Amino acid sequence: MTSPLPRLPRLPPLPWLSARDRLADAARRLFLDRQARFWLRALDPLLDPSGLRARVRRVVEETADVRTFVLEPGPGWRGHRAGQHTTIEVPIDGVLTRRCYSISRAPGALAITVKRVPGGRVSGWLHDHLHAGAVIGLSPAAGDFVLPEPLPPRPLFLTAGSGITPALAMLEELARRDALGGATLVHHARSREDVIARGWLEGLAREHAGFRLVPLLDDAPDGPPGFEPQRFRALVPDFAERATFLCGPPGLMTRVEALYASAGASGRLRRERFVAARPAVSAPSAAARVRLARSGQTVTLEGPGSLLEQLERAGVRPEHGCRMGICLSCRCEKLAGVTRDHDTGATSEEPEPIRLCVSTACSDLELDL
Amino acid sequence: MTPSSPRLNELQLAALARELDAIEAEARADLGEADLAHIRRVMRVAFVAEVAGRGLLAFGVDPLSFVLGTGALTLSKILENMEIGHNVMHGQYDWSRDPELDSRAYEWDIVSPSASWRHAHNFEHHTYTNVLGRDRDLGYNLVRVSAEQPWNPGYLVQPLTALGLGLFFEWGVALHDLRLEELRSGESSPREVWARARPFLRKAGWQLGKDYVFFPLLAGPNAPRVLLGNHLANLGRNLWAFAVIFCGHFPEGAEVFPEADLEDESRGHWYLRQLTGSANIEGGRAMHLLSGHLSHQIEHHLFPTVPAWRYPEMARKVREVCARWGLPYNTAPLGTQLRSVARKLLRHALPTRPRRPEPEPTAAEAPTPARPPIAA
Ligand SMILES: Cc1cc2nc3c(=O)[nH]c(=O)nc-3n(C[C@H](O)[C@H](O)[C@H](O)COP(=O)(O)OP(=O)(O)OC[C@H]3O[C@@H](n4cnc5c(N)ncnc54)[C@H](O)[C@@H]3O)c2cc1C
Ligand code: FES
Repeated sequence: MTSPLPRLPRLPPLPWLSARDRLADAARRLFLDRQARFWLRALDPLLDPSGLRARVRRVVEETADVRTFVLEPGPGWRGHRAGQHTTIEVPIDGVLTRRCYSISRAPGALAITVKRVPGGRVSGWLHDHLHAGAVIGLSPAAGDFVLPEPLPPRPLFLTAGSGITPALAMLEELARRDALGGATLVHHARSREDVIARGWLEGLAREHAGFRLVPLLDDAPDGPPGFEPQRFRALVPDFAERATFLCGPPGLMTRVEALYASAGASGRLRRERFVAARPAVSAPSAAARVRLARSGQTVTLEGPGSLLEQLERAGVRPEHGCRMGICLSCRCEKLAGVTRDHDTGATSEEPEPIRLCVSTACSDLELDL
Repeated sequence: MTPSSPRLNELQLAALARELDAIEAEARADLGEADLAHIRRVMRVAFVAEVAGRGLLAFGVDPLSFVLGTGALTLSKILENMEIGHNVMHGQYDWSRDPELDSRAYEWDIVSPSASWRHAHNFEHHTYTNVLGRDRDLGYNLVRVSAEQPWNPGYLVQPLTALGLGLFFEWGVALHDLRLEELRSGESSPREVWARARPFLRKAGWQLGKDYVFFPLLAGPNAPRVLLGNHLANLGRNLWAFAVIFCGHFPEGAEVFPEADLEDESRGHWYLRQLTGSANIEGGRAMHLLSGHLSHQIEHHLFPTVPAWRYPEMARKVREVCARWGLPYNTAPLGTQLRSVARKLLRHALPTRPRRPEPEPTAAEAPTPARPPIAA
């Protein structure tokens, strides 16, 4: 048996280390922070200290349903690596809504390229309402769908539709570093007119002799559409030896993954998924499983009543008060899953706080309990 | 329930609830940028008024700038507490997901910490409105506002108690949320009370530090002037909040309820209790804004999580419902309501006796609405 180590007395925090935090705390308690935020924002919304902001410089019409928004980030922006994405935040009918977009330019510039999804809430709003001069929120760049260092000799990009956006940034980076020589882009689109940044890509192919641009067009007279395996093997016979970057709709991704797996080349494949797997939305009566993030416990919700009642029946005791939606004591962060608020009638699909006493589960959930 | 309002049976209460639910649903469906534009406009005015007020106090030397500075600071404090703080902490803007309008994150410029106030107010007061023994806001345990509250000789001086409570309302509210009386009754251990007191003491220290040390010192030779102006602004805000809140629940006609009413209470009865336990103040837009729309206390109690600036519009529909159901809708100008509260405070300073309870209603006695309620 090991003897327990003697417990050291906890040292008081070093005053100079936390001076900044203390100042921030004091400012908050004197309500100077919100005054500062207000005046800075009035001066220039990009200076807003409560989060990263970017101003739309220009809107570029890429194709009939794709637009590029060229952004000028605020001073907090720490740059990005080609291929990374950012989460933007825009107020739609007053509700702050977030979506991920790949950055379509190489480091040094910032732009997102958005395809209008039929019935899509955010992409439609961006197309209809986001004009030059507007300011949006954004997160620091993230993601590991990036060019490895040192640069791979003959990278292969397999993209379809709006999935070309991270590849555009990587190609620009390669061109800038004069490393585009062995690169190939196989891109699937409905027609020539639907190829995003077509002019720029064709120019790139003209200027860089070794760069191969292979459009797969649905309306082309030759061959089957898309990434049909046989056709793909004929087009890029050495695919299994090349560092590959894949981004496109789920169907294409699965097909290419299978192809690489069969060639024993899964290790060469890097992927970016644009669609987060949607939770399976169940009938309200079905039992839902709930992961409680703080306790790490998972419980099953059954029977009638609100989430609050179901959780209580499962032995969890969330904080609560009125049990009728007015006191907010039961308000808790929903980290994942879909719920319905029976007070407002709204369905909540995104991570946000919910009132347990008036909500029911529409899918498996994760709660901050 | 006291006898002045008609008694409805459960079926009628359910129909009433459907009508009021429909009014809420209609307002909710319309939530959007207009609500945010409103609250941000009020915030802008409050921020600018605060800077202007503190600036005039700190840099002025004449009495006029003192009066203007104190006025601007009072205005900013009133707006911040009433229209912004109170309403944001009710979750009226939570749907926007704006972190600055988040009910959990908001801290207001008053000595009681948001977290403890939110629980006491949003839960106890709004759920158990005017229920004897449950709604601790009923007279704030300091004054007797109904014959049902047991009398003791201390209440003889309650006109003075009320004045003191008005001047130091923020302290009254904060102490009230500490529930010190539970120490005496044994409901809370000293440790529990201490746990409640600590955040309060810390916040109160910062609040005093801000208005009585930090800003005065910042003004150098003008320190006494700033201190006095800050103090007057706090007193002014306190008196105003006190007046608005007392007019909201304690004028003549606002009812109190026995605890037994809570048993298996239906939504309809809860609505009825909110309706008959609250009173409105009539006035113009300025009155509504400065009271944080608690001039529509009735609507606030019916729909506490709907953005308050929508209450005037909703009130028209609520009044129509009340008229149809023959329900009382207590509303009067500020002066009338204040006089009414004063009369009540004077009357119940003496040992008044509660009226006898009425027999249970039968379906035949209960009123029917003049025309059939709208189907939900
Ligand atoms: C890492 C990453 C990078 C991305 N990069 C880009 C990019 O560069 N360019 C780009 O255009 N997009 C990109 N996306 C996708 C983008 O984030 C959005 O998903 C896309 O713009 C659609 O959002 P929306 O709000 O318009 O559509 P949504 O309203 O979210 O709807 C999306 C689709 O789902 C359907 N739908 C809506 N609700 C439901 C439901 N409850 N159940 C089933 N189906 C439903 C809609 O009809 C629509 O077809 C990226 C995504 C990720 C994760
Ligand atoms: S318990 Fe009061 S809002 Fe849910």
